[in-house]
Amino acid sequence: MRRRVLLVGLAIWSLTPLALLAVVSVAGGWRFPTLLGDDPGLAAWRSLGGGALGHATSTSLALGIGTGVGAAAVGLLAGRALARERGGPRTLGLIFAFLPVATPPLLLGIGLQFTFLRLGLGGTAAGVWLAHLVPAIGYTTLYFVAVFTSWDFGIERAARQLGATRRQTLVRVIAPLLRRPLAEAALLGFLVSWAQVPLTLLVGQGRVRSLTIEVLSLVQAGQDGLAAAGALVLLLPPLLLIALATWGVREAEVVVA
Amino acid sequence: MTRRSLRPLAVGAAVAAPVFVGVGYAAGASIGMWGVGAGDALDPRRFVRVLASPVTLESTLWTLRVAFISTLLSAVVAAALAIALRRADRVGRWGRALAVLPLPIPHLVAAVAALLILGQSGLLARVAFALGAISGPAEMPPLVFDRGGVGMTIALLWKEIPFLFLVAASVLATRGEALEEAARRLGASEWDVLRRVTWPTLWRGLLPASVAVFTFVVGSWEVAVLLAPSDPLALPLLTWERYIDSDLSRRPDAFVLALLGVSIAAVAVVAHELATRRPADTRGTAR
Amino acid sequence: MLVAAGLAGAGCAPGTGDTALTADALRELPWDSIVEHARDTELVWRMWRGDPAINAWIDGWVTPRLQESFGIRLRVVEGQGPELVNQLVVEREAGAAGGADLLWINGETFRNLRDEGLLQGPWADVLPSARWVDSTSAIVMRDFEEPLDGFESPWGRVQFALIYDESRTPDPPRSVAELGEWIRENPGRFTHDQSFTGMTFLKGLMYAVGGGVERFTGGFREADYHAGRDSLFAWLDAHRDAFWRGGEAYPAGVAELHRLFANGEVDFSMSNNQNEAITKARQGVLPPSARPLLLEEGTIANAHYLGIPFNARNPAGAMVVADFLLTPEAQLEKLRPEVWGDGTVLDLARLPEEIRRRFEALEGDPRALAADSLERYARIEVDAEYHERLAADWRAEIRRVGR
Repeated sequence: MRRRVLLVGLAIWSLTPLALLAVVSVAGGWRFPTLLGDDPGLAAWRSLGGGALGHATSTSLALGIGTGVGAAAVGLLAGRALARERGGPRTLGLIFAFLPVATPPLLLGIGLQFTFLRLGLGGTAAGVWLAHLVPAIGYTTLYFVAVFTSWDFGIERAARQLGATRRQTLVRVIAPLLRRPLAEAALLGFLVSWAQVPLTLLVGQGRVRSLTIEVLSLVQAGQDGLAAAGALVLLLPPLLLIALATWGVREAEVVVA
Repeated sequence: MTRRSLRPLAVGAAVAAPVFVGVGYAAGASIGMWGVGAGDALDPRRFVRVLASPVTLESTLWTLRVAFISTLLSAVVAAALAIALRRADRVGRWGRALAVLPLPIPHLVAAVAALLILGQSGLLARVAFALGAISGPAEMPPLVFDRGGVGMTIALLWKEIPFLFLVAASVLATRGEALEEAARRLGASEWDVLRRVTWPTLWRGLLPASVAVFTFVVGSWEVAVLLAPSDPLALPLLTWERYIDSDLSRRPDAFVLALLGVSIAAVAVVAHELATRRPADTRGTAR
Repeated sequence: MLVAAGLAGAGCAPGTGDTALTADALRELPWDSIVEHARDTELVWRMWRGDPAINAWIDGWVTPRLQESFGIRLRVVEGQGPELVNQLVVEREAGAAGGADLLWINGETFRNLRDEGLLQGPWADVLPSARWVDSTSAIVMRDFEEPLDGFESPWGRVQFALIYDESRTPDPPRSVAELGEWIRENPGRFTHDQSFTGMTFLKGLMYAVGGGVERFTGGFREADYHAGRDSLFAWLDAHRDAFWRGGEAYPAGVAELHRLFANGEVDFSMSNNQNEAITKARQGVLPPSARPLLLEEGTIANAHYLGIPFNARNPAGAMVVADFLLTPEAQLEKLRPEVWGDGTVLDLARLPEEIRRRFEALEGDPRALAADSLERYARIEVDAEYHERLAADWRAEIRRVGR
């Protein structure tokens, strides 16, 4: 009984914010004390197609995918290199790898804005992509360190001993085992980029409008309906991707069982 | 040392290279070696002026306090949830799914929702009004833009509990079960198991992740921008304010504050390393 | 593929006009030649994008006409106030190519940009539409008492007004003294924001309790500032505990204040634009019974302008766009309450008969303030230094009081 109460409590806690955003996005006006809105309609959502919110969504999607792919690739190589060794240099190397994750993105932006501008990357999507890669590669490197720490390097050795070439080992033995970690790392990189705010603001110089920046602007301008719609769009891809990933896991478990 | 074993160090440094570049630039800009607002002479005393100023101290203390409270509360709740939702039954499965739901959602979304729910004319206020508990927004206690940072803390809890819950659940599943079994076989009661095995294991397992959460909160800008009060200013907001100050001679102050923030992060990273290195002294008794 | 397309779409480099010619060089050329330089170019305009109505007008009316008449592709990006100064300063420091060609600015931003040498010019005086500008108006021709010198082109003109709700406050206060009384009688129902609008309100209050705007005109004087500030702070001290949240917290910007007003947390909002009550009521942001209010002691009127940054890639395009926005057609469209309700900087007397009549026909919305009241109660903006000092001192005061 108590556990059911807990469940209900958790449902309210986790789902109310999402439900409210949905309500406010179609509410028309949402002035006190109305609960469901004065003038319900889909105006906010219609503006999503064209216009600033729509453009920002595609910008964010492009940046997210680019960051996911880039960070997964680099993180794989970096994580593998860091995980193989033991000892002093590795510990220090790990601490270094942690820095882009621990440093607040705002400060990354403040420190790097000049450099990016100097390199002609300020205000460009390419520049923002590279900026997003900075923390994202940190995250994926740490992720792959964890993956490779519990990795059985013995499998590779066995394959080589049984006569496989480097290429065959890579393609037939390692790659299939890496498929899931790579997908998860790409998802991690995507999320880091998708949710980013101050870094995009500072390096994008207001010219690169990610969805997060658009939503922030709308909230600060008092446009609650549009902001709520934008916020809902902001949370959908991450939820979907996680749902897909967990569903994928369950599928795999079923197969194994 | 052979070249091969220096590789992890080089790789780590490569991953951190942008941070080094940023810190280097900030260091130079803060004392006036280069950058906007740099005078003709170097001004290392600026560090002392900025760091010792009451505004900076207040900001930093307020930020650290909010981060500490929200991290502590998140960890406690996450641990309790992990224990409560361990079983593989339906309640457990749905509970775990609900507990983890906010995890991938951007912090900005959480802040926007918090604004709409916790504002003096937000959802909570309207529900209270509908129930007759208050007669107007003015009677609703201020939870956002408040000195105590309550609204901000709640929004952070919403986002950090899922993350720490995941870590806690994983700790329980991997390390906890064997120890608990052993303790039970040695005759410990359920309560004893909880108190002397489960809880300490959880606590140690959560420590590194909590340090990570703490660091994130200290540096979070978007949540502070939407929910934090204007006095005292959260450290990220103070840094931003100095950075876009139209009085350009104050701009190097922003870099001093940025270095302060990075130092806090660096301390946290070292603390995190130490926390993961703590010897698991319960391991010996499991034999 | 998607990534490349997205990246390319979001960050393509602007097509350039003749990059070698700056605005002051272009100034020497005949206007047609400038228009030719600007043809088929892209123009990046940095402006505040926080109001969907203004955005809709820019995106839906201005952009297509620029494309049609001049072949100019308008691209608008967000940026305002101190962030603008910061971006330009950093761009200059890094030697980076110009991110914007045209800026929407006024007041202290203009002063800061000029002080730092971040604007091109002079250029605004050669615009063909400049002949219609109300050059006798102190409000238009001086930006916070700083002469334009051709470094910025006037665009619009507004006047500060309080906003009240007819249904909640049927008999609003009409003077500063009455406002003070009202605040004391209705504790917790009034506040102002921390940004430009709130500071404008405080400045207006300072004129009123500090002996009139004449005390502060003619440049910044320390002694007069101190006297004015002290009178203002004395007034605030006397009323602060009756402010919203006891005067301990203030909404960050005017949008947050509008939200408080719309939700019934406070009974007054304010705006630098006297028509905002009406246009925002149309948008559903403010309640339909919102009305503008002037105080007897007067309210501040000011204009906003367009400037060209020092590193603009397309100054010719910027000049053409600035001129377009100054044409009577564009000024008229902007004035319409369904569009923006932003006042015109043109002198109606100089306009051809036919278009002047169309302007006059617009003055009809019964909810708006009458033009002659506006005139009578208009006070100019004084030196920007007063604004900056007041903003800084007010913040320090709030911090001090909060202890």
